[in-house]
Amino acid sequence: MAKIELVNVSHSYTPGEYAVRDINLIWDDAVSSALLGPSGCGKTTLLKIISGLLQPTEGDVLLNGQRVNELRPKERNIAQVFQFPVVYETLNIFNNLAFPLRNRGYPESIVKERVREIAELLELTDQLKVNANSLSAAEKQLVSLGRGVIREDLSAILLDEPLTVIDPHQKWQLRRKLKQLQQRFEITMIYVTHDQHEALTFADQVTVMDTGIALQTGSPQDLHNRPEAPFVGYFIGSPGMNIFPASLNENQVQAGDFCYELVSDLVNQVNGQDLKIGIRPEFVEISQAKDSTGLECIVDAVHLTGTSKILDLVGAGLKFKARVDETANINAADTVRAIFPTEKTMIYQNDRLLAPVQQEILL
Amino acid sequence: MGIELRNVSKFNEGVQYVEDLDLSVEDGTFLAVVAPTWTGKTTLLRVIAGIQPPDKGKIFVDGEDVTGVHVRNRKVAMVYQQFINYPSFTVYENIASPLRVAGYSSKEIDKRVHDTAEQLKISELLKRYPQELSGGQQQRVAIARALVKEARIVLLDEPLGNLDYKLREDLRIELKNLAAEREAIFIYATPEPIDALAMASHVAIMHDRQILQYGEMQDVYLRPTHMKSGEYFSDPPMNFFNGHVSDGYAAISDDFKIPLSAMEVDLPEGNYMLGIRPHHIEVLENGSTEDTVNLNAVVELSEIVGSDTTLHLSHRGLEFIALSRSLELFALDETIRVSLNPRQIHVFDAQNQQIISNAAAAR
Repeated sequence: MAKIELVNVSHSYTPGEYAVRDINLIWDDAVSSALLGPSGCGKTTLLKIISGLLQPTEGDVLLNGQRVNELRPKERNIAQVFQFPVVYETLNIFNNLAFPLRNRGYPESIVKERVREIAELLELTDQLKVNANSLSAAEKQLVSLGRGVIREDLSAILLDEPLTVIDPHQKWQLRRKLKQLQQRFEITMIYVTHDQHEALTFADQVTVMDTGIALQTGSPQDLHNRPEAPFVGYFIGSPGMNIFPASLNENQVQAGDFCYELVSDLVNQVNGQDLKIGIRPEFVEISQAKDSTGLECIVDAVHLTGTSKILDLVGAGLKFKARVDETANINAADTVRAIFPTEKTMIYQNDRLLAPVQQEILL
Repeated sequence: MGIELRNVSKFNEGVQYVEDLDLSVEDGTFLAVVAPTWTGKTTLLRVIAGIQPPDKGKIFVDGEDVTGVHVRNRKVAMVYQQFINYPSFTVYENIASPLRVAGYSSKEIDKRVHDTAEQLKISELLKRYPQELSGGQQQRVAIARALVKEARIVLLDEPLGNLDYKLREDLRIELKNLAAEREAIFIYATPEPIDALAMASHVAIMHDRQILQYGEMQDVYLRPTHMKSGEYFSDPPMNFFNGHVSDGYAAISDDFKIPLSAMEVDLPEGNYMLGIRPHHIEVLENGSTEDTVNLNAVVELSEIVGSDTTLHLSHRGLEFIALSRSLELFALDETIRVSLNPRQIHVFDAQNQQIISNAAAAR
């Protein structure tokens, strides 16, 4: 297994247009990680650069500290699992799993031992003699996964939307198997997807990409609690973060009637360009008591999720969403009061996080 | 005024998808037909549209028998899961096409196309061709084409199924608003409970070729009349436990007994199915609370979904799902303690699966 690094990597397919730009990322040995972003964000380009299918126009790819830009995919010992399961239809499961080992001349005793070990973990032991062409899509993808991890000299496994063709009800079981494999064999895994659910469930380390740029790398909780760019706040979580344009008046940042005093060194970092305030709907505190603090808002609409209510609120010069409990007795046209807790309210400048708000002032 | 189906049956390629189905939909209704895939939703929509006549039964629109009337002579529009647009037409001509067929003046066409395009936020795309658009944009064009003619009935067959979740989030809200501005009856087929929760005024649960439950959306959600209603109209699906009632307890296993007094129901001795939605099973920090039933459970997998966490759990061979309204990731096979809120348990007949007590919904 290996540590993978991208150092100042950029790539352009057509001169002057970057598919990915200034990427600096590190995947430590045995990490379970994901590259997450909408279609066209550059994540597949990055995957090809890591696997060796593509040489970046700028920057270096390092495997365990060694530059491998010129090495072909096979020489990098990186396995790939694709959207559509790749199995040898005419071979049984045993021979499918054994294929990469036999291909590299492993002795048959090791082949047997390794296949049995993987099959047991994947719960395929009883089916080893079954021909691959009679398997369901989920079973075929399991075999693809098994074949991916079977070699012990592997550097890493790259997974490209591996659950796309799997029946929704079977997905979670495959996700569990994937995590089990990753933890048992301590494999460096990079999982590429546009689906936040897949990424956050699988990975301990998630990189969110948009328009060719790596916006943030962190744990699922980091991305949720402290999005470093407005896009991360929007893309992670459901509904996404409320984002408001804000203005700077001396040492105060203001969005609608919400006003925050900039404290200490933050003052020097703010230049007032493209300021935004962001807060997640689930962090907005809603009170129905008339004498409570907070700014007065009118409930424009109430949406049900089955577990919560999402309020569309208008007030304090802003339109935003708040999430409340399903049992909250709040209806359209009600007046409520909203508080944006300071530590959960983020200030962005030029689409980068400056800091959570530190001090609120009531106008 | 509205649509009425009386005793409708329909076979497709030898398979019966609809049998003796009755359904009455009144004006101003946004009806969601909720059922898993391959259960006849599409057939039902096609029969209502007049694309296929029923093999048996009658269909009335506004009191008039339209059973044999061809789709061309009905004021219906349909949107499919697959984005269907004319590839050689611009977006403008795609949206205009139903109006041209109906013989509208070019002035009227121009006005309607621009109005509808604006509502669907595709005004800037009018000169482009479908293949130049993203999936979300293509589906917006297909929806615009369905809405441009002011149809009497708008039928939508999983129109958001092929879109990623952020687009689905946005389009649900837009579709709800678009429907509210129109006099048409909207009928929306989907396997996704969230679609119905976010948009529908009424819900029909389809099961076994018939409408199992029909009613106002919130009422169907809170008061399932059958186990399948709870299963289909809940995401994740409602959990069901086999419970034996005796001596004032419902025993699910030897060390997991729920007092009937806590469930606030009175049941004669016997076997029942106890249904509880995942978000009414709570992960406990420590200890127990008085009005709940606690048990140890092993985490098979924790998945982050939006801003919630879905926990796949097992307890002595019983598998069930809990939903936490925050980000909580647990290790595979970690043992946690959870509580079932006994007041949120729906009691079903163990034989015919019909509801016995919806005590939970009374609150």
